[in-house]
Amino acid sequence: MKDIHFEGVGKAFRTRSGSDFVALSDVSLTVAEREFVAVVGPSGSGKTTLMRMAAGLDHPTSGQVTVGGKRVTAPGPDRAVVFQQFALFPWKTVRENIAFGLRCQGAPRAKQDEVVARYLRLMNMEGTEDRYPHQLSGGMQQRVAIARSYAIEPDVLLMDEPFGALDAQTRTVMQEELVRLTRREPRTTLFITHAVEEAVYLADRVVVLARDPGRLREIVDVRATREAEGWDGMAIDAVMDLPSFTHLRTHVWRLLRDQIRPDD
Amino acid sequence: MSAPDMPAQGRAAGLAPAAPRAIRRLPALGIGRRGVVGALSIVGLLALWWVLTTGTGFVAPYRFPSPAEFRGALDQFVTDGYAGGTLWVQAWHSTRLVLMGFVVAALTGVPLGLLMGVSPRAEALLNPAFLLVRPIPPLAWIPLAIVWLGLGDAAKVLVIWFAAFVPSVINTWTGVRGVDRTLIAAAQVHGAGRWRMLTEVIIPGALPMIFTGLRLSLQASWTTLVAAELVGAFFGLGRVLDAAYRDINPAMIAVAMVVVGILGAATTKLLGEAERRLIPWRS
Amino acid sequence: MAQLSPLERWGLTLLGTIAFFAIWQGVAASGLVSHNALPTPVDVLSTAWRLSFEPFAGHTLLQHLAASLGRFAMGFGLAALVGVPLGLAMGRWRLLDDIVSPIFEMLRFVAPLAWVPFAALWFGTGIGGPVMVIFAGALPPCLINAYRGAKLVEPRIVEAAQVLGASGPRIMAEVLLPGSLPSIVAGLRVSAGLAWQSLIGAELIVASAGIGYVMVQAQSNLAPSIVMAGMLAVGVIGLALDVALRRMETLVKARWGQA
Repeated sequence: MKDIHFEGVGKAFRTRSGSDFVALSDVSLTVAEREFVAVVGPSGSGKTTLMRMAAGLDHPTSGQVTVGGKRVTAPGPDRAVVFQQFALFPWKTVRENIAFGLRCQGAPRAKQDEVVARYLRLMNMEGTEDRYPHQLSGGMQQRVAIARSYAIEPDVLLMDEPFGALDAQTRTVMQEELVRLTRREPRTTLFITHAVEEAVYLADRVVVLARDPGRLREIVDVRATREAEGWDGMAIDAVMDLPSFTHLRTHVWRLLRDQIRPDD
Repeated sequence: MSAPDMPAQGRAAGLAPAAPRAIRRLPALGIGRRGVVGALSIVGLLALWWVLTTGTGFVAPYRFPSPAEFRGALDQFVTDGYAGGTLWVQAWHSTRLVLMGFVVAALTGVPLGLLMGVSPRAEALLNPAFLLVRPIPPLAWIPLAIVWLGLGDAAKVLVIWFAAFVPSVINTWTGVRGVDRTLIAAAQVHGAGRWRMLTEVIIPGALPMIFTGLRLSLQASWTTLVAAELVGAFFGLGRVLDAAYRDINPAMIAVAMVVVGILGAATTKLLGEAERRLIPWRS
Repeated sequence: MAQLSPLERWGLTLLGTIAFFAIWQGVAASGLVSHNALPTPVDVLSTAWRLSFEPFAGHTLLQHLAASLGRFAMGFGLAALVGVPLGLAMGRWRLLDDIVSPIFEMLRFVAPLAWVPFAALWFGTGIGGPVMVIFAGALPPCLINAYRGAKLVEPRIVEAAQVLGASGPRIMAEVLLPGSLPSIVAGLRVSAGLAWQSLIGAELIVASAGIGYVMVQAQSNLAPSIVMAGMLAVGVIGLALDVALRRMETLVKARWGQA
């Protein structure tokens, strides 16, 4: 298991008109081993850029990102990514999608089958293994994508608004399932979202970003409250009715609202 | 042939990338009524043919054959042969050349398109040659091929290869560049190496466009072959057309055209079947 | 799939261009292939220049080109005049669609060049025959794209026109035609390419003037430099036609929206 460490990370682009655009400026942040950190921020605050830099799909122009003490330079299977658009291979069945990473590692067939079966069970998807992605609902597709990432047992999980493309009901179900999965198999997780309730419900800590330029605004601790009140044993709607939850949610919401301008 | 195939823009569209399948394939309309009207339409056309040529003699026999003459020419072609061979011999001769040229073009064009799609260096290096050669229509290579290789089969295969090569390359190349970037990123973060990326992500992702290219290639192969055989050949359906034209034998011209049409349709259907089997994940 | 720097990209493009001509020139000049088979690029250019003023096969290259362009304009124009209205009407009236589609489908698989014998028999080898072959090659994209365009026009707009009392022809001219114009123009561009190619094919087989005729005469005289000068001329004109129609397509799309 590893931690993620952002050290004074910045990202600047030269725009077509020739001026410099700063997407992220001087972000320092550590996601501890097995910790679930959610990042919220208005659009343009660079939250996706942060995730992509941890994945090695983007590179900082200043500072550095390390995972487990090693500097990130390229994508690798120690840091699995769950994309908003699911990014399932349309030409592979559910089974082949989930097993893809294991095959890349050269895992024996028996091990692949065992892992696929385990995640199908965990995700309540038994019986779908020979379907193609287009035959599944959006929620099912995202379950496959999450299973595909968990299957390679990555040290670090990076999720980029994984529930952003789902309808409200499916989203709630998926949030509960993700909580179940993460409490059972905790991994170092960086979870990008723009939904405040989702962040507060899922995360140990919520990182709030500000924009123009994208920078760190505040880090809100949730874990202490959650463990004290035993959220994990409750249904999601019950949790969201608790005064402690509402309090945290309102706090994060205010941090975000301060930056929203009338033209949004 | 049913309506859903009709607006197959790709077939007629030269090198233009085909429209998305949703647009190319129209929703099936009431098949019952459509089928009936379609059948009536064909029957009506055949009746009109009989009326114009036999019933009234409005169209002279040296312009267009009557159904009886057509039948006679077909019998003659099948049993006695025409222009140096029976129907089967001539048809097989042409089909063999088309398949040879097409297969060679696919085997060279698709890999080159993959290379150009995957490697920006190869693309930058090879693109100029393409831009320079592409505006010349494939049929314009026929005289050069004849100067180089004579009137035999080699010249035909060369021009067919040439005509079919360009659509294969261009569409494969476009297909590779159109592979969803997120899927490539997803494969990377799950640890795919270069070979696995190519075989399990890029090629399957480009496959629909590769088939669009192959369909255009096949069509170009037939067009080019017929033209090349008309310009000069010893055997083949184009040779039959040419001989029938010189003999002023409209019935045999019509027979040869029908055979060319049937072979073109049959090979296209075969390719479509291959596509359907190789791309099972399509809805 | 790394990005190239602009310098590297342009460098490679330049290298590719130079290599293309260098290899051609090298092979032609080396004597590896007989000079009678493969002329050098310089030979081809000078031949093209010479033939622009000196007659070959009865006329100068420019006169041949003029003859070809005249046939092209007639065949292509005829295909557009028949194909576009027919396609629009088929898109509008289901019955017509049901009647014409099967016949069209049947004829579509016959290679356009296979029409050459009948074309020559019916309309002669001068202008009529080649024009009919061009028509056969150019018709499908005109018809198919007009049909597709008409199908893509929002049915509510057609209904709105009907409710306001527009007649059938008026709906076609004022609703379907403008609504499907982007698709039609795209079809015309494809169609022009096929028309040009069919013209060359027809002239190779039956004609007594025109650029295809020049090439086939040069072929019988075993004069590859003239054949290649003809190819050059065909390529240049084809490219010019394509560029012009592409420009028109851009303009129409900017004015009437995406196809």
